[in-house]
Amino acid sequence: MTDIKPLPLIMVHNVDYVYSNGTEALKQISLNINQGEFIAIMGQNGAGKTTLIRTFNGLIRPTKGSIFIEGENIESKSIATISKKVGIIFQNPMHQLFSNTLEDEIKFSLKNLNLNKEEIKLKVDQILEEFNLEKYRKRSPLNLSGGESKKLAVASIICRDPDILVFDEPTLGQDAKEIDFFLGLIKNELERGKTVIMVTHNIEFTVEHVPRTILMGGGHIIADGPTQTIFTNEFLVSKSSLIMPQLYLFKQELQKIGIDIPKENLRENELINILENYLGKNFINLKEEKQ
Amino acid sequence: MSLEFLSAFKFLKKETFLHNLDPRAKLLLAIIYTIEALLFQEILPLLLILISLLPIIIIGKLFKQWLKSVKGMSFLYIFIIILDTLFISEKGFSFAIAMILRISIMISAFSLFFLTVDPNDLALSLITMKIPYEYAFSFSLAFRFVPTVAIETQNIIDAQQSRGYEMQKKGIINQIKNLFPLLVPLIISSIKRAFNVAEALESRSFGNKKGRTYYYTIKFSLKDWIFSLYLILFLTFLIYVRINFMSMPIWFRWSLPL
Repeated sequence: MTDIKPLPLIMVHNVDYVYSNGTEALKQISLNINQGEFIAIMGQNGAGKTTLIRTFNGLIRPTKGSIFIEGENIESKSIATISKKVGIIFQNPMHQLFSNTLEDEIKFSLKNLNLNKEEIKLKVDQILEEFNLEKYRKRSPLNLSGGESKKLAVASIICRDPDILVFDEPTLGQDAKEIDFFLGLIKNELERGKTVIMVTHNIEFTVEHVPRTILMGGGHIIADGPTQTIFTNEFLVSKSSLIMPQLYLFKQELQKIGIDIPKENLRENELINILENYLGKNFINLKEEKQ
Repeated sequence: MSLEFLSAFKFLKKETFLHNLDPRAKLLLAIIYTIEALLFQEILPLLLILISLLPIIIIGKLFKQWLKSVKGMSFLYIFIIILDTLFISEKGFSFAIAMILRISIMISAFSLFFLTVDPNDLALSLITMKIPYEYAFSFSLAFRFVPTVAIETQNIIDAQQSRGYEMQKKGIINQIKNLFPLLVPLIISSIKRAFNVAEALESRSFGNKKGRTYYYTIKFSLKDWIFSLYLILFLTFLIYVRINFMSMPIWFRWSLPL
């Protein structure tokens, strides 16, 4: 029997996109995304990142090439249909909040899912609880702080329970606590078998948490692979106008003073372990010398 | 759905006779054509007025953008046809066609204006018309934000569609209700931006100095006079036709059988 590989969840095949003013935003993009992956799309502004994610739910239809979600070509499907599977969360939450209360805001997202009243109520309660927004339930979404309105925007997509979550700049303008909350949320979604894709400029966040990175530049995919491999490759990183992660630079400095660290290790806790080991040994050495 | 037709109102720098005209001459064009459109309610005269705009559009090399602006209003045309045909007992359909032509003329004239007038020149020309600088500046600023608002509207549509919002809905009431998810965020973000711009301007001492000099100046040259003269003569002729409408040949009042 031959091995049957499962189809990738998202398959982008030779996609080109040209804006009406002639700008070629995407050139020959091909990529596969499997279920359960956590992916960061990075690159300088104007690289085509946002255009690419907009093709995932049909907001932008490729000029050439096709996109398959769960093996089906989405070309002839309506945005409303695709959005049930692909939830895109945009940068500016103010672009979507309009209801009188937070509750209504969530309800609006659920309305088009053919749920009955009971189910909607249950879902609203559950989501507000999960996002710690219960106390603002009857407040206007327009009176929320920046971080909270972002939370609400995320909640209004997650309540629809899409299989694929796409974030545009989720960590932008968020404080450390909010980023932590957001990370917890993503981990939770990943555990539930969801696929998460994020467009981001936050190198440190990506290096620390995201296993796979897609680098874009000038409408092309420059690199696609494990984050740890990409962010140890100075050529690729500089080609996409990014900078090397702090940990990498720190590691280089350590190497200069003779502390040897394996090439691939870039995660914070791994580095701490190595340093602890190293310093521990030194500490023992120092102790021995003194004695 | 895209808001591509809004690009029909966005200034693009080009070197043509029309682009090089004084902004005031082009403002005159927009105003005069609006008056002309309001003079008639019959298909033929309105069609002729619209056709008389074509040479100007072609001189300005703006045919494509113009087509977009007229096409972009097609939803309005459908409204007009349905409402007029239903509620006007006598020749409602003809009247609807005439009204569509009337609106097309106005849109074309104003889109010509926006397409060919640099927002900076606009402020200058208003100042030469003795309008205080603050007002002239806010006016030109408003124009400069048209494309920004267009992009933002597109973002809002995208964001709402991503959570299952459907653009097309059946029934007039549903369609009106359907506008809220777009209009509320748009109005709120516009107001917010207005405050931000005001603060940014004030923090750069806007309005500190009363007497102001200008680096660029604009002048009403011979070609502007000729162009304006042509517009005024055309208007005078049309007013004459309107006054003596009853003595015009009968084909001039031709209408569709509906």
